[in-house]
Amino acid sequence: MAESKDIITRRQLLKNGCCGGCLAGLGALGGLLAAKSRPGDTVWQIDPYKCIACGNCETYCVLEESAVKCVQVYELCGYCDYCPGFHEPGATALDTGAENELCPTGAIKRKFVEEPYFDYTIDEPLCIGCAKCVKGCAAFGNGSLFLQVRHDRCLNCNECSIAAACPSGAFKRVPADKPYLLKNVENA
Amino acid sequence: MVDPNNNNSPNARIASPWCRSAVATALIGAIFSIIILTLIVANYVQGRVHEIRIEKRLENLKIEIREDSVDKQALIDEIRLLDLEFRQSRLPRPSFARTGGYLLLAALAVFVLGIKWADTLKKKTQIPKLQQDDTGEQVRQAALARWSVAAALALAGLVVLLLVIIPHVDFSTTDAEDASYPTQQEIRQNWHRFHGPEGAGVTADANIPDNWDGKSGEGILWKAKVPVIGHNSPIVWGDRVFLSGGDPNRLNVFCFDAVSGNLLWTGDVKRTLPKSEEEEFEVMEDTGFAASTMATDGKRIYAIFVTGDLACFDFSGRNLWTKSLGIPDSMYGYASSLETFRNMVIVQYDQGDAESGKSRLFTFDGASGRLVWQAKRPVANSWSSPIVAQTETGIQIITAADPNVMAFDPNTGAEIWRAECLAGDIAPSPIYAKGLAFVVEPYSKILAIRTNGKGDVTKTHIAWSVDEPGPDICTPVTNGEYVFILNSDGLALCFNTVDGKKLWEEDIREDFLPSPSLVGDKLYLLTEKGAMIIAEAMPEYKELKRCELGERCHASPAFANGRIYIRGVENLYCIGKQ
Amino acid sequence: MKRFAHTVIAIAVLLNLCAAASAELLFPPPEFESDYVMPTTTTPHPHQDVYEYVDVAVLFIALSLASYLVLKKRSRRATFVLMILSLIYFGFWRKGCVCPIGAIQNVVLSIFDSTYAVPITVSLFFLLPLAFTLFFGRVFCAAVCPLGAIQDLVLLHPVSVPYWLAAGLRALAYLYLALAVLFAATGSGFLICRYDPFVAFFRFSGNVNILIIGVCFLLVGLFIGRPYCRFFCPYGVILRQVSRLSKWRVTITPDECIQCRLCEDACPFGAIRSPAVEWPAVEYAKAKKRLAFLILLLPVLIVLCGWGGSRLKNVTSRMHSTVRLAERIYLEEAGEVEDITDPSTVFRATGETIESLYERASIIRNKFILGGWLLGGFMGLVIGVKLAAVSVWRKRTDYEADRAGCIACGRCFKYCPREQLRLSKTKQEVC
Repeated sequence: MAESKDIITRRQLLKNGCCGGCLAGLGALGGLLAAKSRPGDTVWQIDPYKCIACGNCETYCVLEESAVKCVQVYELCGYCDYCPGFHEPGATALDTGAENELCPTGAIKRKFVEEPYFDYTIDEPLCIGCAKCVKGCAAFGNGSLFLQVRHDRCLNCNECSIAAACPSGAFKRVPADKPYLLKNVENA
Repeated sequence: MVDPNNNNSPNARIASPWCRSAVATALIGAIFSIIILTLIVANYVQGRVHEIRIEKRLENLKIEIREDSVDKQALIDEIRLLDLEFRQSRLPRPSFARTGGYLLLAALAVFVLGIKWADTLKKKTQIPKLQQDDTGEQVRQAALARWSVAAALALAGLVVLLLVIIPHVDFSTTDAEDASYPTQQEIRQNWHRFHGPEGAGVTADANIPDNWDGKSGEGILWKAKVPVIGHNSPIVWGDRVFLSGGDPNRLNVFCFDAVSGNLLWTGDVKRTLPKSEEEEFEVMEDTGFAASTMATDGKRIYAIFVTGDLACFDFSGRNLWTKSLGIPDSMYGYASSLETFRNMVIVQYDQGDAESGKSRLFTFDGASGRLVWQAKRPVANSWSSPIVAQTETGIQIITAADPNVMAFDPNTGAEIWRAECLAGDIAPSPIYAKGLAFVVEPYSKILAIRTNGKGDVTKTHIAWSVDEPGPDICTPVTNGEYVFILNSDGLALCFNTVDGKKLWEEDIREDFLPSPSLVGDKLYLLTEKGAMIIAEAMPEYKELKRCELGERCHASPAFANGRIYIRGVENLYCIGKQ
Repeated sequence: MKRFAHTVIAIAVLLNLCAAASAELLFPPPEFESDYVMPTTTTPHPHQDVYEYVDVAVLFIALSLASYLVLKKRSRRATFVLMILSLIYFGFWRKGCVCPIGAIQNVVLSIFDSTYAVPITVSLFFLLPLAFTLFFGRVFCAAVCPLGAIQDLVLLHPVSVPYWLAAGLRALAYLYLALAVLFAATGSGFLICRYDPFVAFFRFSGNVNILIIGVCFLLVGLFIGRPYCRFFCPYGVILRQVSRLSKWRVTITPDECIQCRLCEDACPFGAIRSPAVEWPAVEYAKAKKRLAFLILLLPVLIVLCGWGGSRLKNVTSRMHSTVRLAERIYLEEAGEVEDITDPSTVFRATGETIESLYERASIIRNKFILGGWLLGGFMGLVIGVKLAAVSVWRKRTDYEADRAGCIACGRCFKYCPREQLRLSKTKQEVC
C-alpha cells in the first residue's frame, strides 16, 4: 500500500513537472510571439500598380458578391468623352446604350459636366469587380479606374482566397489604419 | 456501438404524444430544409448557366454590330434586351443566396431541435451489457490498433511512392550553377567591394585616366545625380555600378549603367524601426544611414545600412532577401563595409565594448540569406571592414578592431590567429600583402603582423610596429614593397614593408576622407574638397597633377575597366578617356 | 482571343510600369470652367478593428465560463447553451475568422518570415485556448470552438468508432498539422484556411467544392461524433497533448466510481476508458519484447519517414506560387504547352531572366527538402510513439475519461448514479 502510494506521488510529481515545463514552454512561446507581434490588425488590399485586371477578383472571393470593387480617383481622370473604361472598343456611338457599354452591370454612371468633359462614377452596389473597365482604362487611358478591396464588405479572411489566386501578386496585407492603396497624382 | 437494448420497434418510437409532435417538428424542419436547399441550388445553377449563355451571345452580338451589318437597330435592340435580362438575373443572386441561407439555417435549426427533443424523450436508461472478458478484449483491441497504425503507415508509404514516381517538371538546373562564384581573375578586373579587390586599394588596370576637370567637363564621361545621400563608395561589376543611400524615411540601393550613367533601378530596403516610439533612432550626420559600402559576388549585390538591415538584390533589381541583424550598438553609427567570399557575404558586426560580447562576424549564403556561420569576437565597436586575403597558408578573413586583430577561416568561421595590439576607435581597414597584414591605430602606431601564425600571436608574429601617427579614417594602401598611409589632416607617410623603416613623410595640407589608392606606381589621393592628387610614390613623394572635380567627396573612388567612378556628396561621376 | 487578352494584359502591365516611372498622364486632367466639384473617392473603414479586442475578450470569457460550467457546475445543458452562443458569435456573427486553428499558421509564418508580424490579437487567439487546456482540459473544444459546435449539434445517432480504427485515422490530423506548418513556414499559403470545411456555412457562401466537403462532414457527423475534430483538426492534435498534462480535468463521477458500468457507452467520441486489470500472464513476456522492439523501431521510422518526406519536395513545393510559375515557364519554354497563363504573362513583362526565376524557385524547392525531412521525421515520430503507446498496458481500476481524447462536453455526467445522487442532494438543499 505504501509502495503504491509512493508510485502515485512519484507519478504526480512527474506530471506536475511536465505541466510546469509545458507552462514554461507556453510562456516562452508567448514571449516570442509578443516580440513578433504588433498591435493593430492587417487587412487585405490590392496594389493597383501591380494589378493586371485578370478578373479573378469577381469569382474567387468567398462572398457571393465580391468585396473587390472598382474605384475612381477623380484627380487622375481625364474626363474623356470617349472613355476606354466605359465604352466598348469601337463603340458605334459615344452614349450610354448597352451595346456601347463595357460594364456588364451598368455600374459606371456617365454624366455630362461641360464641353467636352464627362464625369464617370461607380455605382458601388452594382459593381461586381470584373475589372473590364480597369483593363480598358489602364491600357488606353489614365488608369484612374482600378480595383480596391472595399472594407465595408471584406470579411478579412485569414488567407484571402483571391490573394491565393492572384496571378500578379498584387494582393498584400496592409495595416488596418491605412487600409487603401489608392493611386495618386504624385505616383501616377 | 448501437445499443442492443434500445427498443427500435415503431411502437416505442411514438410512445408519447410529446414524442410524436417532436418527430413531426423535425419532419417539417427537414422538408423545409430540403425545399429551400433545392431552391438555392437550382437558382444558383440555373443563374450561372443562363448568365453564361447570355454573356456568350452578348459578346458575339457586340462583335457583329461593329462589322457592317444590315440592320443595326435590330441588333441594338437585341443587345439591350439581353443586357437587361442579364442584369435581372445577376444582380438579385447574392441577396437571394443570403435570404435563402437564413431560411435554411432556421429550417435546419427546427429540424435539429425537433430530433434532439425526440431523442431525449425516447432515451431510456441503458442497461449495461453482461460482463465480458474485458482483458482479452482490450488485448485484442491493442493488437488491432497496432495493425491499423501500421496500415496507415504502409498506405502513406505507398502514396509517397506514387507521388515520387509520377513525372514532375525539373527546372532546377541551377544547383551546380549556384555553387559557382567569380574567379580571382574576374575579381581583379572589377571593384567588387570597398577599396577594391582584397580591400587593398590597388587596381591592376594600367589604362586609368590621369586628366580631367569637373568644371569644364573634360574627361568626365557622365555625371548622374544620386537620389539619396550616402557616404558609401561605389562598387563596379561589369557594366554596372552600385551604391546605396539612406535617410530616415528610406533605405535604397541604386544601380547605374556604367556606360551611359542611367539609373537602371532602385531597390527599396525595409527599415527595422526601433521597438518603442520614444526611442528615436539618431544617426550622426558624418555617418548617415548608408555609410557601409556594398559588395557583390558577380551575381548578387549586398548592402547593409546603419540600422543593421542587410539586403540582397540580384542584378535585375529583385530583392532576394532582407535580414535585420538588430540595431547595432555603435558609438558613431555602424559603418563597416561588406566583403564577399565565393557566393557568401561577410559582415563584420562589432558593437558595444569588448566585454559586452555583442560583436560578431557573420557569413550568409548569398542565394538564400541563410546564416552559414557566425563567430564571436571579443572586441569593441569598430568601423573597419573585413578583407578576404589569399595568404600563403590559405585564405583568411582578416579583421581589425579594438583590441584584437583576428583572422578567421572563411569556410568554417574558425579563428586562425589573433593579436592583441590595437586600441581606440578603429576605422581604417586592414590590408594584406606578401604574408603581412598591416593595421593602424589612430594617432599612434602602424603595425605589420605575419599571417602564418596560429592562436594568440601577439608576442610571436608582430613583424614590426612603429610609433608614428596612424590615420583615424583612411585605409592604407600597399604595393607589397612599401606601405603608404594617409592621415585625414593630410600627413602622408611611407614605410618599407619588410622592416617598417620610414622612407618619406609629406604634409599635403589638405583634408582627406576618401582612402588612397594605387594605380601602377602612382598614388591617387582624393581630397575631401574633391581634388584628385596624382603623385609619384617612389622613391619619394612628388605631386604630378591635381584634377578638380568641383564637388566634395566623402567616398573612396572605384577603378575598373579604364575608368574611375567618384561619388561626390550629390552626384556620381564616371571619368575616362573619350 | 485568348492571345489578344494576354497582349492587353502585357500592355496594361507595361503601361502601369511606365506610368510608375514617368509622372505624366496620357490625358491631362481638365480645368473646369463650370462650378463642378470633383467628388472624392470613398474609403469605407474596415469594420473588424472595433471587434479586434472584443473578440479576444469574448474568447477569454467564453473559455472561463466553459471551464466553470464543465468542471465546477457539471452541467451539460449550460455547456450546450454556451456552445450555441459561441457558434452564433464566433461562427455566424464574426464569420469564423480568425480562429485558433487558423492562427497556428500565422504564428508559424511570423516565426519563419521576419517581414510578417502577427497581430497581437491573433497571437492571443492561438495562446488562450492552449493556456486554458493546460489548466482545465479541452474546454475550448467543448463549448467555444464554432467548428466543434456545428458538428456537435448535428450528432444525432452516435455510432462508436472502434478503438483501433480511431487510432489509425488520428494520424491524419497529425499529417494535416505537419503539412499546414510546412506550407505556412515556407510562405506557400494557409492550408487550414483554404480547406476549412465549415466556414462556408458561417458566411452563407464560399467555394462550391469546400461547401460539398463541409456537407459531407456534417452528414458523417450525424452518426460519428465530431469527425473533423477527431480525425482532422490540427489544433485538436496540439490540444490533445497539452490536455494530457492538464491540472484539472473532467471526471465522469463527482466523487468515486462504483463500477456500475452505466457510463460505458455514454461517450459518442470514444473517450471513456474501461478498467484494465492485470496483463494476462501468458502475454506479458511477449508484450515486453514487442514494446522493446517498437521503441528500437522508433528512430528507424523517423529516419525512414523523414527520407520519404524529403523525396516529396517536387510535389509539396508546388504549393508555392513561385515554384508553380517556374514549372509553367519551363513547360512553355520547352514548348510542351500551347497557351500562356496570366502569371507567366506577368512574369515575362517584368523583364526578369528565366534563369533568375529558376534559381529563386530552386531555393524555395530546396527549402522543401529540409521541410520534408522535418515533416516526415515528425510523422515517423508520431506513428512510432503511437505504436508503442497502444502496446503499453496501463492499469486502471475505474471508468475514466481519456486525458487526451476527452473534449469535456459533459455528456457522460448524467449517466453516473453518483452524479444523480449529487444533483438530488443539491436540489434538496435548495428546497
